Amino acid sequence: MKKAKSLFCILFFFLNISAIFADGHAKITISDLWISEAPASASVLVAYVKLKNNTSSPISLTNITSTSFSSIEIHRTVIKNDVATMERFSKLEIPSDSTLKLLPGDYHLMLFNPNKPLSLGDKTELIFYFSNESKILMEAEVKKRNINKSQHNH
Amino acid sequence: MIPAIVALSILATSIGFYISLKQSQNRLEQNNIVQSLFWPNPKEIVDFTTKDHNGDLFGLEQISEKWTFIFFGYTNCPDICPITMSVMTDAYQALIDEYKNIQIIFVTVDPDRDNIDKLKSYVSFFDPDIVGLYEKPTTENSLTKQIGVAHYNNKEDGKYIVDHSASIFIIDPKMRLVSKISPPHKSDEIIEKFKKIKRFIDEKS
Ligand SMILES: [Cu+2]
Repeated sequence: MKKAKSLFCILFFFLNISAIFADGHAKITISDLWISEAPASASVLVAYVKLKNNTSSPISLTNITSTSFSSIEIHRTVIKNDVATMERFSKLEIPSDSTLKLLPGDYHLMLFNPNKPLSLGDKTELIFYFSNESKILMEAEVKKRNINKSQHNH
Repeated sequence: MIPAIVALSILATSIGFYISLKQSQNRLEQNNIVQSLFWPNPKEIVDFTTKDHNGDLFGLEQISEKWTFIFFGYTNCPDICPITMSVMTDAYQALIDEYKNIQIIFVTVDPDRDNIDKLKSYVSFFDPDIVGLYEKPTTENSLTKQIGVAHYNNKEDGKYIVDHSASIFIIDPKMRLVSKISPPHKSDEIIEKFKKIKRFIDEKS
């Protein structure tokens, strides 16, 4: 069953690539996808990514799936009056000809219940679903989080 | 000759301007420190009962004679909690050699999903010196009640979100809650603020 699933993923990946080539250029470009290294016991991980809409109309990110996690949600960290909370979004609009950045302390992807602990350098695949019916499979690598040293470091 | 006088006067004016700018910056900085201080009436922490990440009892005695940095969070919070913990760890590692009596504490506000083993794995991921504390925020005199905030959203759902304090709180060696550092947290700023706060408190006592 698992084999069939991964075979399907590979097939799906190539179909997707060919769709992009047939199109001339991609409508959505995904870059800088990474998962933050976390304690081995963590039951929720986080991923960050940049989504570029190359078209002249808005496109929304509607869903993200992965065989490595039970579910994935779009969240945003919000701090109000010194209290931190996370808001959940069912979709995220990428305005025309612009890039939406999911960054630490802001928008992020919540990765629930990894089916095995992921350590530094490990890679796993996420599938991004968009409102224009396109699906993109991307590899995410587990990386170390940068420390916010000072106001001048970005 | 005339260009030289012009140049000189421009120089003099700019130096004067620079000095007054520096002075107002210093004044501003003083104000910032006082603003982040709970002074002149800092809250005294009263006795509390928690367990640390090794399962040992942790109470008032363990914060006495130490500068304690406290952050409230939960291990299912993968964004702002590890960001804050990384920054605190960085500040701690920069300060510990010079100021030996410093400790970093992470208090879970999610006792239902977190447990002592999870806390141990969580805190040691950042630095083996960091203390993870397990308490029920609802118990009397819990650290959460005395210092922090915890509010649960739709707790029936296994994926519920906990609203929690985003600030880093500082308790002085006399067990007084003397300051809070508000986000966004940067390690260099925490280091600078701590030094100023310590200097201020040392002068007062
Ligand atoms: Cu989140």
